[in-house]
Amino acid sequence: MAHAHAQASAHSHAHVHEHKKRYTGIMDWLTTVDHKKIGILYLGAGLVFFLIAGLEAVFVRLQLMYPMNNVLSAQQFNEMITMHGTTMLFLAALPILYGFFNFIVPLQIGARDVAFPFLNSLGFWTFVFGGILLNLGFFTGSLPDAGWTAYPPLSTMYSPGEGMDLYSIGLQLSGIGTLLGGINFIVTIVNMRAPGMTMMRMPLFTWTCFVMSILIVFAFSAFAVGLLMLTFDRIFGGNFFNPTTGGNVILWQHIFWIFGHPEVYILILPAFGILSEVIPTFSRKRLFGYTSMVFATAIIGFLGFMVWAHHMFTVGMGAVANTLFSIATMLIAVPTGIKIFNWIFTMWKGQITFNTANLFATGFIPSFTMGGVTGVMLAIAAADYQFQDSYFVVAHFHYVIVGGTVHGIFAAFFYWFPKMFGRKLNETLGKIMFWLFLIGFHMTFFVQHWLGLIGMPRRVYTYLDGQPGWNEMNFVSSVGALLMSVAVILLLINVIITMRKPADAEGDAWGDGRTLEWAIASPPPEYNFKQVPLVRGLDPWWLEKRAGRKEMTPAEPVGPIHMPNGSILPLIMSIGLFIAGLGIMYSQTIVAVLGFGVLIVCMVIRSLVDDPGYHIDPEELDSKGVKA
Amino acid sequence: MQQAGHAQSGDQIKRSRRHEGPRNHLIAFAISIILTILAFAAVSIPGLSKGFVFTLLVLMAILQVLVQLAFWMHLKDRGHFWAILTMIFGALVVVYAVASAELWTWFA
Amino acid sequence: MSHAHAEGNSIESLERRTLEGRNKILGFWIFLGAEVVIFGTLFAAHIGLRSEVNFGPSGSELFSLPIVAIMTALLLTSSMTSVMAIQAMHRHDAKGVAVWLAVTVLLALGFLALEIYEFTHYVHEYGFDIQMSPFSTTFYVLVGCHGLHVAIGIIWISLLIGQLFKKGLTVVTAPKIYVASLYWHFIDVVWVFIFTVVYLMGKVG
Repeated sequence: MAHAHAQASAHSHAHVHEHKKRYTGIMDWLTTVDHKKIGILYLGAGLVFFLIAGLEAVFVRLQLMYPMNNVLSAQQFNEMITMHGTTMLFLAALPILYGFFNFIVPLQIGARDVAFPFLNSLGFWTFVFGGILLNLGFFTGSLPDAGWTAYPPLSTMYSPGEGMDLYSIGLQLSGIGTLLGGINFIVTIVNMRAPGMTMMRMPLFTWTCFVMSILIVFAFSAFAVGLLMLTFDRIFGGNFFNPTTGGNVILWQHIFWIFGHPEVYILILPAFGILSEVIPTFSRKRLFGYTSMVFATAIIGFLGFMVWAHHMFTVGMGAVANTLFSIATMLIAVPTGIKIFNWIFTMWKGQITFNTANLFATGFIPSFTMGGVTGVMLAIAAADYQFQDSYFVVAHFHYVIVGGTVHGIFAAFFYWFPKMFGRKLNETLGKIMFWLFLIGFHMTFFVQHWLGLIGMPRRVYTYLDGQPGWNEMNFVSSVGALLMSVAVILLLINVIITMRKPADAEGDAWGDGRTLEWAIASPPPEYNFKQVPLVRGLDPWWLEKRAGRKEMTPAEPVGPIHMPNGSILPLIMSIGLFIAGLGIMYSQTIVAVLGFGVLIVCMVIRSLVDDPGYHIDPEELDSKGVKA
Repeated sequence: MQQAGHAQSGDQIKRSRRHEGPRNHLIAFAISIILTILAFAAVSIPGLSKGFVFTLLVLMAILQVLVQLAFWMHLKDRGHFWAILTMIFGALVVVYAVASAELWTWFA
Repeated sequence: MSHAHAEGNSIESLERRTLEGRNKILGFWIFLGAEVVIFGTLFAAHIGLRSEVNFGPSGSELFSLPIVAIMTALLLTSSMTSVMAIQAMHRHDAKGVAVWLAVTVLLALGFLALEIYEFTHYVHEYGFDIQMSPFSTTFYVLVGCHGLHVAIGIIWISLLIGQLFKKGLTVVTAPKIYVASLYWHFIDVVWVFIFTVVYLMGKVG
């Protein structure tokens, strides 16, 4: 009897009749609980929001291209910068990273799905509807406009329209999805690794997923409370941040940044993980200093919670507090530096292939480092009094986010595209895209360091003519944005023409795969592994190949594979929450009650109706382990 | 169904909760009651300084919470490494939040 | 048939016997970590704003310690009875589980009734509502959030009692009951801090 069934399985003993619900087409995608499909959904939705946020940035840069321009009014400008930041961070970057984690991490640990497939789907749909809610302003005419940081009293008493309500409630809803995803990844990684995969044999991408998820669980919860307080102040007459009755606006800043700083580590750690996969693969050399990379990741995650007030140096906390946070912030540069050196040492004397994925990964190293060093400059509290609220800060964070996270995302996209879709993206288009993006990125943001240093404040919708350097640098910055847009369009074209080609990629698509996802077909079958693999060490697939084997050694005999059924409930629950959000926003109690009612009914149905899933029998699998 | 390797060993049988009676839990209940009564009593005694009373109250609350976590929520039992780590990390973040609210929000 | 493996020779308790059960328990602990931060942030706001009464009543004027003491006794006892429910579960005594859970729910309803009375009393007697002051806002949001968690717990445990009658104690229902009791203990843990920080410290001033 298969080892896998030696422990009592709830589903083999269930007295509920087992059946497979076969959905096809759109219904399949709406009801799927398969981590691979959900991963693709996250990527798709994230890409859509990425394009929207990119368009918002283009508008911003068009407005700032010339002095005293009138492409956007001041109000519209404020809305564009707010939506650009909010959408990029919450609705684009994080979901795209979730897309990669969802698809790849279970494969890397030898699992057949995540710990909670239903919650995985719920997380996706709440994110989508939260994102829709946030963007409703495009239709109601009132968008959030108080910056992505939403400081009161601007975001409370001085923003009386619905715009900021969309912010506080839309982000609350999508935040639920993020939190659920974080919990899911942690439990999956702790409990569901294949036999032989100790934590110190996990790929770095999985490690960064793990640490990022821990950060998400603790940081997003704080933000949820902050948003709740904002909602209470705006809609229910609360006094958390109301200075006229004794509230405190600094409280918001603390809560926001206790979330906000870990948030940026949430964004960068996955990119670190991606680099630690792409660079060794295309240097044909194992990652240098695996142990130190793991510890550096953990330390960055831990320290990331202890530096938040470096966003508040100028608020008046006093010299002692400023000094503590200043030193803690500079400390984070140490483990980060370790990582940078380890990637360089990995490439040293390797047999390097500079395909698009590796170009983006290698391009990350100097770009992110530049962002990192301006970060150390900003960490000097006394100096920050000059930098605060200037374009120097804008330059810094775009260097680390675009030079860091976005480069990582593009690298991951080219690297794992064959695994997900069975075809490689076109390399020529990819390389042109890379160079266009690189040049555009540095054009846009490098000059912003100078703009900040010569005094241009951030979040201003226009500037006077005749200030030395301002016109030229803003112009260059805007042209760079247009170049980046062309690069992104090239990426879209690349995807479209690639999807027309036949899906004939090998399982080990690049030939030099080191981790478990490359040991199975591209794309993988529904159940991932016909037999759960036995892991003998770090880079388990590389080890098996070096030992002359063509497949992973299995850890169990062939047996029936248990699969979960899809469900439409997550979609309905998210719609219910969306309706409830609208009800709260417009103070329509009945609508809110209705929305929550839908949610509760679905939860009760899910709990009462046992759904044991179905089994795929070995006879249905052909010799390649693919379902017939 | 795949496993992540949860082997059982002899001494783990001894620490399993299956045959424990409610004794330890009732002791935890008694401790909780006593600490609660002491806390209410502490605010009824006149003449104590506010700082002293507050410190005492917080210490007793933390103690009661630790007892309930250890016994009623089984943190003292095997297999709770991640649960304990989660609670510690959560408590740490709370310390940061409380420190912010207490120390760095109101300025002279 | 659903009870066939309840007497199995496995050493693990019922709720940990399956991967799904173990996943649910670990997942719930992580969720409790998030809840720690949620309540902790609300506590931080309360601690920072508790002295801002905006010419309205303060805690020392409002709070009635006898009522808080009774509420504490009810909730603490309900936490103990949920322990007894899990003890019954480990003895495979489904009826015992249902009885102890029902007692838990009744005690919780008593707690909630007193809290609702308390809130309405404040509003009617003192005009002390959410909008009055930062102190009132943080009081109602923090204590109200806890009360909401109690209400959700009551509904959840009641539904579980129903499931117990329909499906019995299985490797599917056991993790649900275990996780619900973890939730219930956590609610009491939060209340320990609430009665200490909000009520007792509020009474002192």
